[in-house]
Amino acid sequence: MIEFQPGNLRVPKWTRPVYMVAAGTTDYRKRYPQKKLEELCMMAFRMLLEENDLKMDPLEVKGLINFACYGEFADHFQDQLLCEAKVHDYLGLDLLPNVGIKTGGATGGSTLLMGATTVASGMADCALVLGWERMDEVQTWTGNYYIASAACKDFETRLARNYASYYAPMARRFQEMYHVDERVRAEIAVKNRRYATYSPYAQQSGRHTIDEVLSGEIVSDPLRFLECCAMSVGSAAVLLCSEELAFKLTDKPVRLYAAGGSHTLRTGDRRPMRILLLPNETEESYRELYKEMEKHDGRWPGFESFGATRFAAYMVYHMAGIKNPIEDLDLIETHDAFTISDLQTYGDVGLTLYGNEQDYVTSGDCYLTNPHTGKQGKCPANLSGGLLGTMHAVGATGIFQAGEVLWQLQGKYDKFHGDPKLWERYGKKKPDDWQSLQVKNPGRGMAISHAGVGSHVVCSILEKA
Amino acid sequence: MDNRVQLKTRPSEITRVEDVWLLHVPRFGEEGTHYHTYGMLTPYFRGLGEGQLMATRCVNPRCPIGKGHSELWLPPRADCPDCHQPMVWEQVKDPRGYIYAYTHVERGGAGLEIECPYYQIDVKIPGVGTIIKSYLIDRKPIKIGDKVRAGFRTGQSATNTCLDLYWELA
Repeated sequence: MIEFQPGNLRVPKWTRPVYMVAAGTTDYRKRYPQKKLEELCMMAFRMLLEENDLKMDPLEVKGLINFACYGEFADHFQDQLLCEAKVHDYLGLDLLPNVGIKTGGATGGSTLLMGATTVASGMADCALVLGWERMDEVQTWTGNYYIASAACKDFETRLARNYASYYAPMARRFQEMYHVDERVRAEIAVKNRRYATYSPYAQQSGRHTIDEVLSGEIVSDPLRFLECCAMSVGSAAVLLCSEELAFKLTDKPVRLYAAGGSHTLRTGDRRPMRILLLPNETEESYRELYKEMEKHDGRWPGFESFGATRFAAYMVYHMAGIKNPIEDLDLIETHDAFTISDLQTYGDVGLTLYGNEQDYVTSGDCYLTNPHTGKQGKCPANLSGGLLGTMHAVGATGIFQAGEVLWQLQGKYDKFHGDPKLWERYGKKKPDDWQSLQVKNPGRGMAISHAGVGSHVVCSILEKA
Repeated sequence: MDNRVQLKTRPSEITRVEDVWLLHVPRFGEEGTHYHTYGMLTPYFRGLGEGQLMATRCVNPRCPIGKGHSELWLPPRADCPDCHQPMVWEQVKDPRGYIYAYTHVERGGAGLEIECPYYQIDVKIPGVGTIIKSYLIDRKPIKIGDKVRAGFRTGQSATNTCLDLYWELA
């Protein structure tokens, strides 16, 4: 049993508030030969500057930027080191400083976190946070090997060379421990892919049924094809600034809080701990669960939970004054790289207690419209379409999801998803039965960015100012 | 389909520097080979080829977690993360455990050296604090809790990698 020491649980205290004012994105595709990487980054940057109703000329806004944080997951997909310098130059931001940030699947969230600290500390007044990934230079199974080099090279990579096979044992264990009906996992795939059909940016939207998901080809037992995200190409960006600047730039500024956590690269190396309690939980909440764990030789976080997510949520909730996430958050973007990671996350971030994740999904509160009540769900999840339906251009992902939360809080879902011209921009036609997924008057939302089998996680809360 | 999982790989070449093994990882010809060191974990990989499962233990009485007799580490580590002192090697005799988690791998990424399909398993071994990931050599349906015992690829059949440890149903 390992324990936190004094100092480990110190809540981050930023020197000054940080705001998010604008976002931009490309559409996402499995292969995107029409554009070079830096051209994709320009698309996202241009949208950020030109289409967010900022109260200054786009080039004036650009003139406010002092610092750039860039997220890219993997150099080896493109065989290009220092891609940051190419992108920075291409965006016309020389000689400003920039840094590249890498934390696997959480790269986008970590880039956002680092960008926020430049504003919070006063190093910057206005920081660009931009991420990308280009995964289409290689065939899918080589890509899978490249991604699996984010497993431990000495002890685990050779055991599958496919990342789904490192998630699948967690799914198996979670499923047995909590008696999960695989239809619940399938339901998550159906929901998120369906939400993606309303997004012009989406790569693999679809109207599927639970039976269709379950009858699909198995990638790594028990995970089926439609339960896994795909490789993706694209870029996303957000603009962060100080409070003073935020109110000059927009009538709809949104405050940002962000915190991270990390855990072992090898799942089996996670040693048992007492559950780190969120503000809405007590030791009593988990008395039965600990007993249940003993029966199954379970441990926390073990294979069933993500300690890094819990740690990041603990920190960001204390930063943002969240007392009860299910009441205080109006929407969430989870890192649904696999259906199982979406399901596991609901307990980690305390939208429900550990052990009740399945019931939380079937309660319908993760839907925009709760299928049981016909009313808005308490905390709709992945209205962007998530990683399953819309994108996982890794370095961009956490940034894209934070941008989607920003637009929701600004009441701009329709503007950024419903304009037929936007669909045409990406060579698509807006569906005739397009629906708005705008949450009614949301106050706060959270975006989760997540790496490896839980090696790095950043939780970001956005709050309408 | 053979009822026992085979490897489709040749033994990796090793260079010895003092007591340490450098694993050759060819990329593009001789000049493009990576020489990956096993460093202070060399005894683990050498042990597999000799049919021994070697683990590490922290014996520092001042270690706040192990208190002089930690649980074993597998995969091993040279240094204790809790007190930062060097750990000691210890052989796990007649290694047995049970399947803690698993997946059935039907297709792996490019370069996979294990012949599909096979079970990738996470094995809980009594006395070992961590849970080691490996593979099952049997092609029979399994469930969590099934008992397994370790097997080794030794001598000429050793690959000099983690694949030299496998498990069979006990």
